[in-house]
Amino acid sequence: MTLESRIETVTVDIAESTRTLFETMIMMDLKYDAASLVDDTQIKTDVIGIVSFTGKCCGVIALFCSKKFALKVASAILMTELNEFTGEVKDAIGEIANMIAGNVKTKLTAQYGDMQLSIPIVIAGEGLSITAGTNHPIGAESTLSWFSRDTWLMTPFISNNEKFNIGLLMRESNK
Amino acid sequence: MPKVLIIDDSAVMRKIIQRNILQSGLLVDEFVEAGDGREGLEKAISNNVDLILCDWNMPNMTGIEFVKALRGSGQKSNIPIVMVTTEGGETKIEEAKSSGANGYLTKPFTPEQLKSKLGNFLLVK
Repeated sequence: MTLESRIETVTVDIAESTRTLFETMIMMDLKYDAASLVDDTQIKTDVIGIVSFTGKCCGVIALFCSKKFALKVASAILMTELNEFTGEVKDAIGEIANMIAGNVKTKLTAQYGDMQLSIPIVIAGEGLSITAGTNHPIGAESTLSWFSRDTWLMTPFISNNEKFNIGLLMRESNK
Repeated sequence: MPKVLIIDDSAVMRKIIQRNILQSGLLVDEFVEAGDGREGLEKAISNNVDLILCDWNMPNMTGIEFVKALRGSGQKSNIPIVMVTTEGGETKIEEAKSSGANGYLTKPFTPEQLKSKLGNFLLVK
């Protein structure tokens, strides 16, 4: 199984899961565009919310956004105006990534069997890229280094005039 | 009025659940919070809570481990538990119910969905 062969169905899963979240708990407008495969050199972002999954398929689902958008979406989900990029904003981004990943995982489980989700990790800075130094299959299959040279399936969204992306790395497990 | 224990490793999610409960008109007197199943078990036993809302994926003790531990503890083992989790598959829902959970709500949820699931355990304004 390659990510390329799954683009259409997985893109729909990601778009539907994100739309459901925005309609239920965030209440912000949402538009999305066609997904594309991008390599890690094209990724530059301020905030990354990552959830990995293991099972017959393993991979990573990540939310990439600006700090400005992180503040907007955290304010919306917490129903309060947030103006500073605090730990609470990072926690909110982690939960948003977690809910999107959880819903995508549920949809993928129907096809590929049960999977386990990790606890979300959020990284924040300026102009972040997501690349590891090696591409060797090591220890845990869900580590980012294992996927570091794979292409991301990136689905671009626009909400409240801000762009953000949901990226997916996915492989069939060797186990 | 009732006391509700919310077990979730995300402080933000605990806050979101509280705000949604209050917004939906469900009557709650006090919220008690726990960051994982182990802390939740201590607080469920040491506090007189009327309802427990519990996440699934948490460090130290997962939600399903918490449900099994509380139901098997012989202490406060009849408190209703509603799982509130991103785990949405049928097999997960069945596993939770067979382990002793009384209800199941998948994140994300609307205040109306929350009210519908918790309305069996809490009074509405």
